[in-house]
Amino acid sequence: MSKSQSEVPYGTLDLLILKTLEAMGTLHGYAIARRIEQVSGDALQLSQGSVHPALIRLEQQGWIRTEWGISETNRKVKFYSLTRAGRKQLLVEVANWEKTAALVARFLEPAG
Amino acid sequence: MTLRRVIGRLRALASRRRLDRELENEILAHLELAERDALARGLSAEEARRAARLRFGGVEKMKEEHRDQRSFRGIETLLRDLRYGLASLRRAPGFTATVVSVLALGIGANVAMFSVVDAVLLRPLPFPQPDRIVRVWEAPRPGVVNATSTPDFLDWQRLASPVFEALSAEQSISAALTGPADAIRLAGKAVTPDYFRVFSTGALLGRTFVPEDGRPGAAPVIVLSHAAWQNVFGGDPGILRRRPILDGEPRQVVGVLPPGAFDRDETRFWKPLILLPDQQVRDIHWLTVYGRLRGGVSVARAAERMQAIYAALADTRSVHDREGAIVVEPLARLLVGSGLRRSILVAFGAVALVLLIACANVVNLLLARAASRGRELAVRAALGASRGRLVAQLLTESLLLCLLGGVAGAATAALLIRAASSILAQSLPFTADVRLDLRVVSFAGAVVLGVALLAGTLPALRASFGNLAASLNRTGRGSSGVHARMRRAIVVSEVALSLVLVMSALLLLRSLLNLQQIDTGVHIKNVITMSLDLPAAAYPAPGNAARFYQALSQRLAAAPGVSQAGLSTCLPLEWISNGEAIVLPGVSELLRVRFKRVDPGYFHALGIPVLAGRGITAGDREGAPRVMVINQALASRLAELGRMQDPVGRVVRVSTPGYLETKVFIPEVRIVGVIRSERVSSPGDPDPPVVYVPLAQAPSPQVKLVIRTALATAAVMPAIREAVRDVDPNLPLGDIATMQQVRDRTLWGVSRPAGLIGAFALVAVLLTATGLYGVLAHTVTLQRREIGIRMALGARSAAVLSQVLRHALRLVAVGLAFGLLGTVALTRVMKSLLFEVSPLDPVALAAACASMALLGLLAGFLPARRAAGVDPADTLREEG
Repeated sequence: MSKSQSEVPYGTLDLLILKTLEAMGTLHGYAIARRIEQVSGDALQLSQGSVHPALIRLEQQGWIRTEWGISETNRKVKFYSLTRAGRKQLLVEVANWEKTAALVARFLEPAG
Repeated sequence: MTLRRVIGRLRALASRRRLDRELENEILAHLELAERDALARGLSAEEARRAARLRFGGVEKMKEEHRDQRSFRGIETLLRDLRYGLASLRRAPGFTATVVSVLALGIGANVAMFSVVDAVLLRPLPFPQPDRIVRVWEAPRPGVVNATSTPDFLDWQRLASPVFEALSAEQSISAALTGPADAIRLAGKAVTPDYFRVFSTGALLGRTFVPEDGRPGAAPVIVLSHAAWQNVFGGDPGILRRRPILDGEPRQVVGVLPPGAFDRDETRFWKPLILLPDQQVRDIHWLTVYGRLRGGVSVARAAERMQAIYAALADTRSVHDREGAIVVEPLARLLVGSGLRRSILVAFGAVALVLLIACANVVNLLLARAASRGRELAVRAALGASRGRLVAQLLTESLLLCLLGGVAGAATAALLIRAASSILAQSLPFTADVRLDLRVVSFAGAVVLGVALLAGTLPALRASFGNLAASLNRTGRGSSGVHARMRRAIVVSEVALSLVLVMSALLLLRSLLNLQQIDTGVHIKNVITMSLDLPAAAYPAPGNAARFYQALSQRLAAAPGVSQAGLSTCLPLEWISNGEAIVLPGVSELLRVRFKRVDPGYFHALGIPVLAGRGITAGDREGAPRVMVINQALASRLAELGRMQDPVGRVVRVSTPGYLETKVFIPEVRIVGVIRSERVSSPGDPDPPVVYVPLAQAPSPQVKLVIRTALATAAVMPAIREAVRDVDPNLPLGDIATMQQVRDRTLWGVSRPAGLIGAFALVAVLLTATGLYGVLAHTVTLQRREIGIRMALGARSAAVLSQVLRHALRLVAVGLAFGLLGTVALTRVMKSLLFEVSPLDPVALAAACASMALLGLLAGFLPARRAAGVDPADTLREEG
């Protein structure tokens, strides 16, 4: 692997999933994982399996809802979509991220 | 964590199987889709599957994380461990049953014993603010306490009100209840109206006493205990309208007490104690005084106040009663004497040792099981289970076992308490309510947890830290050397603990045998006793009573089956109230004596020999010259004082209680005889001086019947009842007991711990024997191959047999050495419970050691025989 890959920054997987669902509407777990990889230009080294624990956490928080659907391979799977609370949470997460990024950026600015 | 997530997690916990299934399905779907995409990118089927799995990451790790996210992983793991543990216990029913029954015994005995400790020593008395209830005694001399006289009580009541909220006096009585059914005797108390205020007890029905009830001339009323209402009056809802006839006098029932502590006492009814003006005599001490302290008043302050009152009243007292004090004693301390406390604590200690032995046995069983499960654990470890997980799993299993044992133990405790309820009622104060309540159950829970930690940790650590590769390679040959050493150490400690218990039991047994052999001075065999009370209404004067007793004696002597009959105010071996004294001519000092009134048959019926002069005869009746007989102890006391070398024929003055009125007469009485002392106090104490006055010359309304008969109690009772009925049909007989029972009651303080600790020792010995057997049997199994080789090389089976037995004896010997140290450490505790036995009695010590050695041989015999029966060819082949 010549391309430089990085792991999902700590605590941002939730943000990535919520953003993906906002952009794409209703998706199943594999599609969410694929989409995140594609958007990152395959720069992220995501263990695709790790979206599933994140999904159940977001579901229990009430930010995403699930419904049953049929996958492209004809299997009954869960499809996820954003809830109203999820949209709000996405705004919060985005704001948090920007704040963090700005903070880190300020540290990295050349002194003076 | 938000509330929403907590709820979500809890719900997930409940539906974790469905969620696991769904997750499994999601993973499959995910992998399928990934595989499909990979195929579309042009990979081969094999490569596609590999790529999909690679991109997905670790499936098991993800599952764990999923569970972690969706609910509480600790709980889910615990539930899984529990399920696994239950399954593995079910696979070994013999092991499970053994451990659970060992624990049930140990925990059950401890919980039952704790419920006694709790009821007697820990829980407060069942009255409101119990620490404010006190008993007030007069102490005329240091170490002697006395009842209170009427004027003193009235003075106290008047002067001590700054420290006492209420002060009451009581006297135990009993009365014949007559009615349509057979007359029965009810124990009761005559109490001043404040009595129930002292105990802060209200009435369930009606009322308790009011001050008017205690005035002379008040209408006769009674208050019933709840038990009396239920059992004697059948719970009659109209009880407050009834006027039962007590001692010939109808008395209005004004109240019934709520159920509770008073139902465990023998008192069935209370009547007002009316203090008549003619009872105002300071020399007659007859009242028992209880008080309730005012809030904030300490016992010490109350005692100080009482002492001041006592000093202020000094000149009202006779010269002999002046140097005394007043003792204010908390009710709790009065009810639970130091003897009872000591017996209970020693028994509790003994039962704790039993639990320790039971724990040791369980550890042993768990170690043996862990050894045989070494491979299973090794396989699980190889598959990735961490040590922590294995320890947790094993601990969960032992916790499960202990919980099962705890439940079985609680059931055992309930059975034990029920089986012992009558003995408990006899030997514990009436305030002690022994039951399995929340406190006792939480104690049981704590014991279970403690046992689980104690018994589970060691085997769990041992098993999980064993060498993995070694376990896998070994072909089920069992445990390592360290393992075996640990099990031997445990058995050694079991032997040591058992020796301590066996030794204590043997010492108490020897002490009991010594007590059985002490000479009571009276005939015990074939003697039955009972009591009789004459109601004042039917027998108003001493003459009535004297005539009744004479008629009764004659009638009893003629009754079929009765060989001899006697009457007395006190039973032999039982306490005689003190307070009487004799006045020697020319001496101002009183000589305190115990006072007993007996009829002519008494000495004969009990086989008490007359040493000098004569006994009491039918001629010593009312109007005849007053006489008395003294015991040997008094005769030698008189000789000691240098007053009378030969007392027979001498005349002294004796304070003599009156018949019904509480007056004392001090008539001149001639000593006509000396009898051999009969025992009237607990063993070990010297015989007190006693005077015997003819019942006919100083009648008492209460007497005891002493009947010598060759028949059994039940066979002779109808004839005795008929004899009494012939003289007076309204007199019930009470307290029927054989002399043997009276004697056992007196010795109860010693026989009770002996029985209990004997039972505990037996259990301990049985547990130790199983532990020893387990270790030896295991050793033999491990050494089968070695034994086989030795026998193939020519060792004889007798040699093998003796080798195993020697091994058993070695273990026992080491245990005995430690046990002896324990026994020496306990000398001081045991000393207080023993009667004429040294706590290191060599006979008991030898017997205890010998029985433990015998136990070792017995436990070793089966394994030894198995070892001797090993066929060398077989063992060599099977291990080949």
